[in-house]
Amino acid sequence: MLGSIIVKITFATSLFAMFAYFLHYRKQSEKILQLARMSYQISVVGIILSFSLLSYLIMTHQFQFHYVWNYSSTDLPTALLFSSSYAGQEGSFMLWAFFTGIVGIFLMNYAAKRNYETELMLVYSAIFTFLIGMLIAKNPFAYIWDVFPSELLRTGIVPPDVTNYIWLDKAKQLWAQYPVGGRGLNPLLQNYWMVIHPPILFIGFTSMSIPFSYAIAGMLKKDYVHWIRIATPWTVFGALALGTGIMLGGYWAYETLGWGGYWAWDPVENSSLVPWLVCVASLHTMLSQRKSGAFIKTNFILSILCFLLVLYSTFLTRSGVLGETSVHSFVEPGMWVYWLLLGMIGIFATIGFTVFFVRWKEMPVVPVEHSFVSREFALFLGAAALVFSSLFIAIGTSSPIITNILKNKISAVDTAYYVTTILPLGIAIALLAGIGQLLWWKNSKLQPFLQSLKIPIILSIIFTIVTYFIGATHFTMLIFIFSSSFALFANIAVGIKIFKGNPKMAGGAIAHIGLALMFLGFVGSAKYDDKETVSLEKGKTFESLGYTMKYIGYRSIERGRYAFDVEVEKEQQKFIVTPVMFEGQEEGNIIRNPDIINLLTKDFYLSPLSYDVVNPNEKEITLHTNEVLSLNDISIKYNGYDFISIKEGNSVNIKLDIIDKNKIRKLTPTMLNQKGNVTYQPAMDSVTGIQFTIKGMKPNKEDESKSTVTLSMIAPTNIQPVETLVVEASIKPFINVVWLGTFGVIVGFCITIVRRVQEAKKRS
Amino acid sequence: MNIKIIISIIIIVGALIFGATSFMETNIEYTNFSHAEKVQKKVQVKGEWVKEKESKFEAQQNQFIFYMKDENNHEMKIILDGAKPNNFEIATSLVAKGRFKDGTFYANEVLTKCPSKYEGDSSAVKKML
Repeated sequence: MLGSIIVKITFATSLFAMFAYFLHYRKQSEKILQLARMSYQISVVGIILSFSLLSYLIMTHQFQFHYVWNYSSTDLPTALLFSSSYAGQEGSFMLWAFFTGIVGIFLMNYAAKRNYETELMLVYSAIFTFLIGMLIAKNPFAYIWDVFPSELLRTGIVPPDVTNYIWLDKAKQLWAQYPVGGRGLNPLLQNYWMVIHPPILFIGFTSMSIPFSYAIAGMLKKDYVHWIRIATPWTVFGALALGTGIMLGGYWAYETLGWGGYWAWDPVENSSLVPWLVCVASLHTMLSQRKSGAFIKTNFILSILCFLLVLYSTFLTRSGVLGETSVHSFVEPGMWVYWLLLGMIGIFATIGFTVFFVRWKEMPVVPVEHSFVSREFALFLGAAALVFSSLFIAIGTSSPIITNILKNKISAVDTAYYVTTILPLGIAIALLAGIGQLLWWKNSKLQPFLQSLKIPIILSIIFTIVTYFIGATHFTMLIFIFSSSFALFANIAVGIKIFKGNPKMAGGAIAHIGLALMFLGFVGSAKYDDKETVSLEKGKTFESLGYTMKYIGYRSIERGRYAFDVEVEKEQQKFIVTPVMFEGQEEGNIIRNPDIINLLTKDFYLSPLSYDVVNPNEKEITLHTNEVLSLNDISIKYNGYDFISIKEGNSVNIKLDIIDKNKIRKLTPTMLNQKGNVTYQPAMDSVTGIQFTIKGMKPNKEDESKSTVTLSMIAPTNIQPVETLVVEASIKPFINVVWLGTFGVIVGFCITIVRRVQEAKKRS
Repeated sequence: MNIKIIISIIIIVGALIFGATSFMETNIEYTNFSHAEKVQKKVQVKGEWVKEKESKFEAQQNQFIFYMKDENNHEMKIILDGAKPNNFEIATSLVAKGRFKDGTFYANEVLTKCPSKYEGDSSAVKKML
């Protein structure tokens, strides 16, 4: 009750804040502005309370709430238990709204100092209100008996042995029973990345709404130029947060999910990349507008798109429209998410583009009159390449929807689509990342520019030739390596120059160095990786990919997981690699976690595939009733079975005759069924030492002679059972370069934020 | 007209044509086994695992072999290039991506669709009372 009420109050106050800001926008009034601020602040307190309450309910295992029951359980460690609060659909919207609310407080203060508060907060509080609206449509605080009324609602007297119940209406004798345990967190999500990754990604989602709000606010204020300066630090922040989230997601997939790589072009991954690319493109055109005044309209459009694409991504991955085409079999949320998200996209697109077209004629036209040899032109081409990458990925990810509309058949593109379309754009982006940095604003003089190209080009040609001899023999890859290394050397050259002057300005060069390193790392780790499947018989040594491997044995680690120790050796260096396997909530659902040896130039990556124990002395036999089966020394006769009721279940006793040189010995292997728990009790023949265990039965009530039993026979010998661990070993060359590159991009963004914040301060 | 605008238009149109052809080429058709047999190119087939028939992992070849029936109850032997997919046993339906060749469907990917954990599963709640 309390939770639902707080969410409704939060919704009401943020809605009120939006209207108050609107009133203040129409008719300046200090009183109304105070009211708007206060009411927004109350709504932020509300969302903090709601999120804290949900976490509290999860931490204290209040299974009378449907969400708590559906996503948490009593056996989760504290950090994972906390992460349950955003593991589910409702909770993740809660986290999104939570960050949106809190960031809004900072935004309000920042904008107030720059005379932007009213218009900005008008738009921003509308977004906030919508997100809270999601929580009203699908309430994270729903009671479980409202979801399962026929299973849980009871009337009359509570039986004395029931303790997990609550009275709903004593007068009507209405009460509800609730579960004592929860369904727990998806085992794939049960590791520490779940604690870090989603919050960062949602901060990224939140920050995409800021450039959108500034763009609309700017147009409302008829400020087509100055808003860029105020919005830039936030756009960089958005690119940083969302980018970090995406990269961490890739690392998570690589390190624990065992997808074999860090990027699988899966819809869930793609859908956060699409807005990020547009956001990064807008950073470049914003930079260009600051210098030359051009790209006014482009910047409005791109800033609007960033946010719309975040909404569209959410729609793609949360509404179930992708059907079976995604590896993340994400949620079937029902129609509410579908229509609310579609409605949200529709409304914010209408708002954005209506304001844009109303102001269209008023926007100053600054002709793009620079030569081809100018930084503006390179920035424009670079931004265009980024937008096209984003467009192609968006189209590929939406292919189930597109084919559904065009052909009335849902189908997805192969991942080859992304490689074919993005690779040429990647080459272009790398070249431009180098060229753009070497050029000057407006008119670059051709001669010094060509001069500055010389060293980077010579170095990258040498680099490309070296990689060719290392093994990069594909022509397109060589072009990609050439352009990426050109970006690398050009930016190192520029970076050194800037660093000598003013290190605060080095953000761009460092981010581009990071990008170039990532590209080069992609070639090594994704194109020239090598893999092989190996069956490791316990105790024996096997060779694969130049490594010797020996499976030593498994051990039980925390929470029903098993670690499989494999000794890996290369050139006198010894490592113990321990991939992990365990059974998920459902029987037969095996979760596999790889383990990695991180070497300087490559990773040795070991994915567990399966684990089998084969007993060479074990034999399976199937007998019909009264059938006699002759083996080497003895014969076995199946005389049918006895079905005996015992306490809380039953017992099936198989009647066997062991015929040994005219002597008959009687054996009864049994199957016990107690409370649905089935156990098998073997029987051992005292003379031969053979052990019989029931494997299965097929009774035939009409014709008893057609009943069969299947038994396993284990003969006593000294031969041990053979344990086999099947693994996929792979080598990922230069994957450290990818991680180093991501680090460079992140550092570059951080330096840029500091610089842009200082600039925004100076101007105001 | 400005030469840059003309270049931009050429680039944009070129990129769009390039994107559209790539899209059409790599779009994997959703179909059934009989159609897969006819076209012999990469398709995806939705169906169910035939639990009664054998399913095994061949470690030497790194192949998982099982039988699947499509929506027309057409049964087919599937050889998957790789290990048994996650959630295989509990999947309510499967999607096999690959091509048909010599009486067998060679899949390079099998997606599993799990029973929705998220919407009201009333038997689960009964178990935990």
